[in-house]
Amino acid sequence: MEQVKTRSRHKSSRSLQINPFKLSAPMGATLAFLGVHQCMPLMHGGQGCASFTKVFYTRHFAEPIALQTTAVTDVTAILDGGDYSISESVKNIVNKVTPQLIGLYTTGLTETKGDDVSGIAKRMEVPLVYVNTPDYEGGLEQGWSAACSAMIRQLTAPADSIDNNCLVLLPHVSLTPLEVEKIVDFMTAFGFNVVTLPDLSSSLDGHLGEKQAALSSGGIRVEHIRDLAQAGLVVSVGASMIPCAHELQKKNPQIRHHHFPHLAGLVATDELIKTLLDETGFHAPPLPVGRWRDRLRDALLDCHFALGKTRFILTGEPDMLAALCAIISEAGGKIAAVIAATDSSALDDLKADRVIVGDLGDVEDLAAADFDLIIGGTHVEALADRLGKGMLLRGFPNWEQLGNQLVHDCLYEGGAYFLCEMANVITRHQHHSGQR
Amino acid sequence: MATKPHIRELLAESACEHNQPKKTACNAPIPGATTGGCAFEGAQIALFPFADAAHLVHGPITCLGASWETRATPTSWPARDLTQVGLTTDTCLNDVVFGGEEKLAVAIDQTITRYHPQALFVYATCVTALIGDDIDKACREAAARHGIPCVPVHAPGFVGSKNLGSRLGGEAILTHLIGTLEPEVTTPFDINLIGEYNVTGDMWQYSPLLEELGIRILSTLSGDGRIAAIRTAHRAKLNVIVCAKSLVSITRKMQDKYGIPWISLSFYGQRDTSAGLLAIADALGDPALIERTQALVAREEAKLGEQLAPYRELFAGKKAVLNTGGNKTWSIAAALQDLGIEVVATAVRKATEDDRAKAREYLGEHGVLMMDPGAEQAKLIDEKGAHILLAGGRSLYTAIKKGIAFIDVNQEKKISYGAYAGLLNLAEDLRHALESPVFSLAGRRAPWNR
Ligand code: SF4
Repeated sequence: MEQVKTRSRHKSSRSLQINPFKLSAPMGATLAFLGVHQCMPLMHGGQGCASFTKVFYTRHFAEPIALQTTAVTDVTAILDGGDYSISESVKNIVNKVTPQLIGLYTTGLTETKGDDVSGIAKRMEVPLVYVNTPDYEGGLEQGWSAACSAMIRQLTAPADSIDNNCLVLLPHVSLTPLEVEKIVDFMTAFGFNVVTLPDLSSSLDGHLGEKQAALSSGGIRVEHIRDLAQAGLVVSVGASMIPCAHELQKKNPQIRHHHFPHLAGLVATDELIKTLLDETGFHAPPLPVGRWRDRLRDALLDCHFALGKTRFILTGEPDMLAALCAIISEAGGKIAAVIAATDSSALDDLKADRVIVGDLGDVEDLAAADFDLIIGGTHVEALADRLGKGMLLRGFPNWEQLGNQLVHDCLYEGGAYFLCEMANVITRHQHHSGQR
Repeated sequence: MATKPHIRELLAESACEHNQPKKTACNAPIPGATTGGCAFEGAQIALFPFADAAHLVHGPITCLGASWETRATPTSWPARDLTQVGLTTDTCLNDVVFGGEEKLAVAIDQTITRYHPQALFVYATCVTALIGDDIDKACREAAARHGIPCVPVHAPGFVGSKNLGSRLGGEAILTHLIGTLEPEVTTPFDINLIGEYNVTGDMWQYSPLLEELGIRILSTLSGDGRIAAIRTAHRAKLNVIVCAKSLVSITRKMQDKYGIPWISLSFYGQRDTSAGLLAIADALGDPALIERTQALVAREEAKLGEQLAPYRELFAGKKAVLNTGGNKTWSIAAALQDLGIEVVATAVRKATEDDRAKAREYLGEHGVLMMDPGAEQAKLIDEKGAHILLAGGRSLYTAIKKGIAFIDVNQEKKISYGAYAGLLNLAEDLRHALESPVFSLAGRRAPWNR
């Protein structure tokens, strides 16, 4: 039963990325700022980076996306240290709208020319958070978590007392808006007052409202970010979010920190419940939780036949991969390879034959016989079709399917849905490819 | 050979519509108030449709990572469709500090040995241009090593807009590929299609008609394009620019250098398609061809008229408000009118002078050209009694509030609206939208909001 634990992971030895699903740090920062109410993300770089990012997320979420750029040109790149383009941008933004926050973040271009954004930011007379996110370092998770840490560092007021009823949730970037909402509801059922940073559950959840995309709508309020340090505990989900929790503890060392690498599957959800029971002193969780646990246990038994005979390749952001890896192996699925966009401690000790930091070129290099099904974003579709493999679309980007913000794979409930969906995909694929 | 094009010179091209009277300001984006893509995106749009060439983006991950496999430009190239293969050097901190040329050279070798492309394009981006990586040298050396054309594309994002980038992409083709190969045969009716990218198969809606007329598409830049074909483009009798002003500079230079005349047209809607076909025949100047074309146009229009009759009945008396940019401000308006829908207003805020004039021509004196569509469109829907709003996603809520149908015209389209056959697709989509219950249901008041 037990699969070999990977000893180490390796990086692709190529000098180029082939069919990459890696996404840049500024793109991660963009999303983090979209999880703040009435925020204007402002990308400091050439106009194209923001334009690509906007189109990318508009297609993924099927929602208008608020985003501006400092539009650095070859002329300003040389003559301006950032002062001009940033202050002009801020001026032009506040001329049209009244953001509660401007989220300013850099790109490779402006980091290469060495703009001092922290100095410039301090001179601005609007609520503004800045963060350094060169796109030649890290990726989506790092950008998201760096922006989150920056908001805590620059906005949250230090505190010296705590409110034990108040819980701060720090979700990793790949949790969908609905998953975040489900986790919040789950914790709320234990009596906590939950505040989420960043909070996409009310901003990019695909609700119909009077959105002009001039600013983000929904998300955590700036005044709530200011008050975060009064919480009794902070829960980080995903390895990328640990630094953010530490940042918050610096504002108030009394805050207790609980970390979960992910919240997928039976074991991880059990762990979360243990923690919540310990924290509240309750003896048992609210009733519906138990019923969902029974449904997940039933799903494990129903689905193990399909999953157990399937060899998977998982691609995407590390924290999402840790989650997928856990729930698939709980149902007995064999993971031939995990291919991550960037390196992360989330990749330590995964139950997979290989762990690679790479791209879809690495999948092409694996023997076709090595796997049956691939999980990843839109880009895996062409590959799965060409190789005649099964596929399930998860992660960024998913431009082909609607309802990405409503996908829910975590906790007992999401786990049960996920396993059934997975088993159905496998069965249908076997049917079409003539295997039984 | 120095291949860096002279940006100033390109900007001064009279083809840049809003170039006069101010020289460069029209191309400088406004910080904090800019929406368009960068020059690199423009080059990508112009060149990526060559599916038999590899496209290697020399830069950090944002440039390619967020943009590959986003545009549906189908190809009939039988081998691997390299348009949809994302290749990037993924510049990292180390490269920024020590230079990325060495890595680029290895990446080029790995690309060529892996995919055996007919040519290689190497795209500079902001960071690699700023640190001064010499992509000309990399391409020159790679061409010598591998014996295929390797084309440096100098359109890093920060030099300007998408349009400028497309032009720079075209320049690269002109400098490095056109005129480097002779066609096996030539015909008196050889044309190049410039700026037709075959998005969702637009070109295939009319290319069979050209073929039927005996007009040969010698090469394209770059829809369903082939490197071997574009290298012979200098032998064409006519350059046809399809809906892409940004490439006028290329055709003008080809006229100077090779004596090839050019015309500019579009294939959106029945009137433009017919006029376009006739314009090509006219420009080629053969009386028999002109006669054949007239007959074909008459036949196709009659056929289409028959197919559209039920739609025209359905659309009679229907009014539309259009809120989009560029040539769509009039091309979609024209197509709607061809279907018997009255276009009561179109947005011209993001349109050039030329596009505005065309919009005025199509909409007539009673049509409204909206300069501030965000504020105007809701009012106009009421005033004019419009039945449908065609706009970008941001305007959806306006349509819902007014309880009228909506089509997102800025979304990546999935099917072609081009030429005669495409008009049927558009008609079908419009019928759907007009008949759909969702717009009034979505606007339904909640039971607790009495
Ligand atoms: S603006 Fe520059 S860095 Fe940004 S996408 Fe365009 S080329 Fe790349």
